[in-house]
Amino acid sequence: MSDADFDVQYIERDDRSARVLIRGLTPAFANGIRRAMIADVPTFSIDTVRFVENSSVMFDEMIGLRLGLVPLTTPLDEFEVGDEVTLALDVEGPATAYSGDIETSEPMVEPADDNVPIIELKEGQRIELEADAVLDTGKEHAKHQGGVSVGYRHLQHVTVDGDRGEFDEDETNVLRGVIETEDGDIVPTAAFDHDLSEKYPGKELTVEDVPGAFVFHIETDGSLSVEELLLRAIDTIEERADELHTKVSV
Amino acid sequence: MMIPVRCFTCGNVIGEHWEEFKARAREGDEDPGEVLDDLGVDRHCCRRMMVSHRDLVDVVSPYQ
Repeated sequence: MSDADFDVQYIERDDRSARVLIRGLTPAFANGIRRAMIADVPTFSIDTVRFVENSSVMFDEMIGLRLGLVPLTTPLDEFEVGDEVTLALDVEGPATAYSGDIETSEPMVEPADDNVPIIELKEGQRIELEADAVLDTGKEHAKHQGGVSVGYRHLQHVTVDGDRGEFDEDETNVLRGVIETEDGDIVPTAAFDHDLSEKYPGKELTVEDVPGAFVFHIETDGSLSVEELLLRAIDTIEERADELHTKVSV
Repeated sequence: MMIPVRCFTCGNVIGEHWEEFKARAREGDEDPGEVLDDLGVDRHCCRRMMVSHRDLVDVVSPYQ
């Protein structure tokens, strides 16, 4: 098919954040993946709210905004863009209404975090509402973004040129991201406090970007796992390429 | 009034950490920076959301 020789390596991997080294990318393609992760992977988010009662200190619209920002788990295999799920919230004061109090009609779509405070209610205050969550992309509204602070840096190769002069000042050499040593080890700069002079004291160094090697920092708001977000982003690029392919061949 | 659900700048969900931060750093005597590190609020955009927040529900509730 293509002669791209991709190589993927997870440097750090968590439920909601990861660092992935991908080799064989062009800068344009790396940016395409980044943008797809932010804007093209759909997630559920509350979009319409019907208030039955709101005697809290906040206006309906403010509560609506807060509800929209609560991340909802999104099983993308089961739903399509535009699908809706109904949720409900009913809390009476004195109490704080948390995202975990939101009841859902579809157990697969529920708040990803249970302890986000929505509104603090005093004695006699009550909030009762029904809300529709809709599946849409980050292009439509930022609340639908699955990825949070998604970005990438070049992998940096560090070469030791020799010893620094005996009476030279020991300077700090701050670097952020991930480095590749001469032995081919991949080391996040956090391991040596982002300071190369800690790792190579008294050495003369050259730092160069490794062509085509990008370290992605991916974080999600909990609606999707990191892996799913990355895979779905690549899927959307593929879908669009396919669509263009059919349009051109017709 | 209430702690914002997400960080204004990066969109990370920070609301969930507020009550612990408040209990430990505002009302408790722990160092706010260390509490934030502990909670995993790493970026300075998210940290300022917590550090600069003031709960106002108690202040406005008598006027409803």
